[in-house]
Amino acid sequence: MLKHPVQLAIAIAFLALAAVFAMGASQLPSDGGYAGVGSSFVPWVVSAFLGVIGLLLAYQAVTTGFRSLDAGDAIGSADRRGALWVSAGILLMAALITRIGFVPAATILFVCAARGFGSVRPVRDIAIGAFISFPVFWLFTLVLDVNLPRLINDWL
Amino acid sequence: MIETWNLLLGGFATAIQPANLMWAFIGCVLGTAIGVLPGIGPALTVAMLLPITAKVDPSGALIMLCGVYYGAAYGGSTTSILMNTPGESSSIMTALEGNTMAKHGRAGPALATAAIGSFIAGTIGVLLLTLFAPLVADFALKFGPAEFFSLMVLAFVTVSSVLGASMVRGLASLSLGLAIGLVGMDAIAGIPRYTGNVPEFIDGIEFVLVAVGLFAVGEALYNVLFEPKTDPGTRNKLSSIWMTRDDWKRSWPAWLRGTAIGFPFGSVPAGGAEIPTFLSYSTERKLSKHPKDFSSEGGKGAIEGVAGPEAANNANAAGALVPLLTLGIPTSATAAILIGAFQNYNIQPGPLLFQTSGPLVWGLIASLYIGNLMLLVLNLPLVGMWARLLTIPKPQLYAGILVFASIGVYGMRQSSFDLFLMYVIGVIGVIMRRFDFPVAPVIVGMILGPMSEKQLRNALSISQGDWLIFFKQPIACTFMVLTILVMFVPMILRKRGVRLSEDD
Repeated sequence: MLKHPVQLAIAIAFLALAAVFAMGASQLPSDGGYAGVGSSFVPWVVSAFLGVIGLLLAYQAVTTGFRSLDAGDAIGSADRRGALWVSAGILLMAALITRIGFVPAATILFVCAARGFGSVRPVRDIAIGAFISFPVFWLFTLVLDVNLPRLINDWL
Repeated sequence: MIETWNLLLGGFATAIQPANLMWAFIGCVLGTAIGVLPGIGPALTVAMLLPITAKVDPSGALIMLCGVYYGAAYGGSTTSILMNTPGESSSIMTALEGNTMAKHGRAGPALATAAIGSFIAGTIGVLLLTLFAPLVADFALKFGPAEFFSLMVLAFVTVSSVLGASMVRGLASLSLGLAIGLVGMDAIAGIPRYTGNVPEFIDGIEFVLVAVGLFAVGEALYNVLFEPKTDPGTRNKLSSIWMTRDDWKRSWPAWLRGTAIGFPFGSVPAGGAEIPTFLSYSTERKLSKHPKDFSSEGGKGAIEGVAGPEAANNANAAGALVPLLTLGIPTSATAAILIGAFQNYNIQPGPLLFQTSGPLVWGLIASLYIGNLMLLVLNLPLVGMWARLLTIPKPQLYAGILVFASIGVYGMRQSSFDLFLMYVIGVIGVIMRRFDFPVAPVIVGMILGPMSEKQLRNALSISQGDWLIFFKQPIACTFMVLTILVMFVPMILRKRGVRLSEDD
């Protein structure tokens, strides 16, 4: 019976990443000219580094768990609903920003994130969200010349 | 020596131009604000502000970013004293005594000794920077690729092994940063690596994106998942900021000792202000004539326990600019992102900086003197205004941070792909935070990684593939030996019961 399944999963993720980087490195040219080391050398070193770290973490995970760690594996008490709201806000903003424009997308993110953190007044949050995104929109587009997507074509 | 003063005077001429004064002021205000606010630190703020490098001239932008970096060191103390939650992890020591003093109705003197101590330490620190930076730069002109590579290896190891609870997890973070840094074009041969045919990856993964993902999204998600929703609510009352004669007498030596401890630690790549603030606190405790006042003895809070660590923190911030400007070596996540800001202007911090961009560097250093003065004024009489920032409710605070973070990421190259990637990195950040992997080594690894690969391959080209070059050159060899010694530091610290957490 494993005492620290999540920790072992992290270790395995490192080992998998090491494998991916090793595969990538094997396809890179290794010709190094005068230096003797080419494009593939450092990728090999990094993948070996990731692999060694993965093994060390795996060893710690199957023995007494990661060293000097207070949290352990306890993720049971987590507020998943809150995290879902925050995640939804970010992903909605990413998906919608080019379609509905910058200010509405940022407002959606603001409202969802505030909801996730326990705010129960969505109307007020909409107002605050729009109120802080507008000046930022002007600052970026006018002062810094960064093109942020406008609301539906050009009427804003 | 006289030459240095002339250059500095020239720097002041740059720094007092109205536009640059304005940038310094904006930086100081922003820095103080984010120092006060929990959940947002200087690394994240500097990363989010990087888009301005596209439009503002280099001296203005760098003066502002340094103001943020500096201001955060001031603002952090306000939160530690008024609430028992330090705004920055370098103010944990301040929270010990400062919060106890505030609970006994002496918040004012605690804030005053923190602000004045920060000013004195910051000013002495900048003075030392003025004196030492040109000397270090001159010495570093002798460095070739072999020396720079071994210095970078030293920086990697110190940043990832000294901080944090576990060396393995520190190195794990570093390996992740190095791996991210490999994505994109190989700097020497121009071959794309690990792009997986995703066109967005050819330019590499922007470190702004990684910093914002780890610091803003990761922090917000972690907080919503694992921290209690209710506000702690126990905010201490402000009191008159006047210090008594006795307060002054006890603060003075602590400020100076803190400065003496903080500056050298900042200027070696030993990562963050954790160690010096801790050392300063324990020194004050040992030397104090009023040991009964310390909170651990059940006292009312010892003022020297606030004065020393705050001075050490600010002297450390000034000290960290020495390797940053003269060697191009970052000692913390914020410093690494500042290097990124220089690179956006095609300026490479390093020994040549003082020759190629002299007016810029001296303008920047001069603005630090001015910034310190601004911060003293901003923080001492106006402390009540900053304290009001602490009344922003958590939902709106974190929602606001996320909005600004996404704008910063999206504004870089107007790609919603980046926003999705930011979220993925944020999720990784939550896992890292939960299992106590330090975040700074990721940022330092991804910025310094490609630079060190370039130095490594150049060094080996010069030596025709002879690896012993790193041990044959005396300077490079010294750095390599130091690297090995540094590996033992955490063991010594742990034996003495010291546990350090990182500074963001």
